[in-house]
Amino acid sequence: MSYCVNCGVELDAAAEFCPLCHTPVYNPGRPIDPRTSKPFPTQPSVVPPASKRAVSLLITAMLASMAAACGLLNLFLRPNRAWSLYVIGAAAMLWIWIVPPLLLRKMPLCLKLLFDVCAVAFYLYLIALDLHGSGWFWPLGLPIVCWGGAILLLLGLVFQGGRSVLTTVTLLIGGIGVFLLGVEILVDQFLLGGWTPGWSLVVLTICIALIIPLIVVRRVPSLREEARRRFHM
Amino acid sequence: MHRQKPHTRWYRLDNAGVLYSALQKEEYSAVYRFSAVMTEQVDPQALQRAVTRTMPRFPGFGVRIKKGVFWYYFEPNHAPGPFVKPDISNPCQPIRFQEDNGWLVRFYYYEKRISVEVFHALSDGAGTLTFFRTLLAVYLEEQGVPISWTPELLPVDSPPRSAELEDAYARYAGKRVLREGIQPAAYQNTGTAEPFYTLNITMGFLPLDAVKEKARQYNASITEYLTAVLLKTLLDKQHRENPVRERPVALAIPINLRGYFPSETLRNFILTLRPCIDPTLGEYTLPEIVSYVHHYFRLHLNRQEMRAVLTGNVRFQTNRLLQIIPISLKNPVMALGYHLAGVRPYSGTYTNPGAFTVPEAMAPHIQRMEVVLGQDTKPRVHCASISYGNQLEITFAGTQVETDTEREFFRFLVREGIPVKIESNRVC
Repeated sequence: MSYCVNCGVELDAAAEFCPLCHTPVYNPGRPIDPRTSKPFPTQPSVVPPASKRAVSLLITAMLASMAAACGLLNLFLRPNRAWSLYVIGAAAMLWIWIVPPLLLRKMPLCLKLLFDVCAVAFYLYLIALDLHGSGWFWPLGLPIVCWGGAILLLLGLVFQGGRSVLTTVTLLIGGIGVFLLGVEILVDQFLLGGWTPGWSLVVLTICIALIIPLIVVRRVPSLREEARRRFHM
Repeated sequence: MHRQKPHTRWYRLDNAGVLYSALQKEEYSAVYRFSAVMTEQVDPQALQRAVTRTMPRFPGFGVRIKKGVFWYYFEPNHAPGPFVKPDISNPCQPIRFQEDNGWLVRFYYYEKRISVEVFHALSDGAGTLTFFRTLLAVYLEEQGVPISWTPELLPVDSPPRSAELEDAYARYAGKRVLREGIQPAAYQNTGTAEPFYTLNITMGFLPLDAVKEKARQYNASITEYLTAVLLKTLLDKQHRENPVRERPVALAIPINLRGYFPSETLRNFILTLRPCIDPTLGEYTLPEIVSYVHHYFRLHLNRQEMRAVLTGNVRFQTNRLLQIIPISLKNPVMALGYHLAGVRPYSGTYTNPGAFTVPEAMAPHIQRMEVVLGQDTKPRVHCASISYGNQLEITFAGTQVETDTEREFFRFLVREGIPVKIESNRVC
């Protein structure tokens, strides 16, 4: 029999380390026999993931039915205007947001975001078609959507590894500030032909001012521990 | 052989069952496990035959839970099963009402170990031990061991008695209600959460006579002594963590009421006591804590006070206003109430169902007994103990990565001069 040198407890014959303090077992007089059965089984019980196909089918049927019904109604109600495109576009956008992630469990984040951004851009394009707005869609609408998608992708990639609450809040505030700065640049480019720094700088300054204390707390270990303790993070 | 009439009627949950059913979710398990480690390898076929023979005698365990408009209720489960399964490394998984053919009991085998897992809404530890004792007797009989059916075993060929299914809370509820209000928040003893589907179990095996002798030195029972050691461990742990303000350390200690209110029920019949030490009052030594726990139990374990407390719990079920609130609205409110009254004021749970006794013919075939409690709503450990022969088994189980609580607890016992043997399902 082996004993833990730290805890003073007797250990099981199959134990390779002390379960209490993780000290490895080293007993030259009684080496661990790998054939000795473990005191507990090693196979966990896991609930098999429920099939999402049925849910996907139901959602697809609901959205398709809604789009078809509105398309038909459009033939009789104000047929001179393609108002049903708004509903059909919204249904298509919702379908792209919901169904592919349900069916493809391990869909990469980049691909998911690419789909989502394309869906938003497509919906915006349908609106532009109805309003004869190709003049604002290409130089303004599409770049804003792409800019937002790029920032979301960057944040998503950073958050993928799992971040602390402090880091998450810091990055979110920073992301909002940078996004709004880009929005103003694009709007100014579209309206005035060049960037005139304005409201977005105020928002960005506020965001930076909010971030600085968070970064300080994040960087100073004693402050970080204090924040964790006080806020139960 | 007597042909048993199938139990066909639905029945209400007792007030402990109402609570456990409302709380059951993926992140909390109101399931506990008793295991018997036999002297021989378990024969799964014989165990399955034993389960099939035993289940009809215990209609309170052969039920499924159904959701009514206002309350959950039990109805007899006529689905195939329950079937014995090879054991798993993460026991006491939360009960999913729709899965496993609706069965609320599970049976496992691993090498020499037979385990039964029970959803707490069905029965408490004392009721389940009666069921398990009978199951073991039938299993040994299937193995060819002659069993004498002494009164502590319920003969499987006789019909179940209605007294075994009574709601003892309702029977003993009086007129006067005692409510202590919401207790203050206690030290939570939480740590880093393990990934989903993990339950860390650490078992300590101690010689019962050594623990009894040590407890006697403090003029306390084994339960009082071990409660005090756990309180001391948690007090020291909180102190080492150097918090801004130290909180009281309190334990939930379930008490079997059958010793105070005669009942043959196999359903729930327990109440919880809350011994609590406030470290802001000063440092406590172990003899002082043992003395406090000993006198706390003496003060509160009386029929009058316990009846008033259980009356309050029963009133909850019979309250006209609460009765007409749909269950979907009631469940979240009960979960919040449980968090405020059942989680926040406690640092952990310690339960000791006591000594497991079997007829003489069975004793040579059982090596030891084990008990495991399911995961808490928070990543922290529950403690439970059970004794068989001269062996006391203490289990710490939880979803916490750190081993601080169990390590300090067992090291403390070693320093007290009690030899401890450790087994665990931890893999790193």
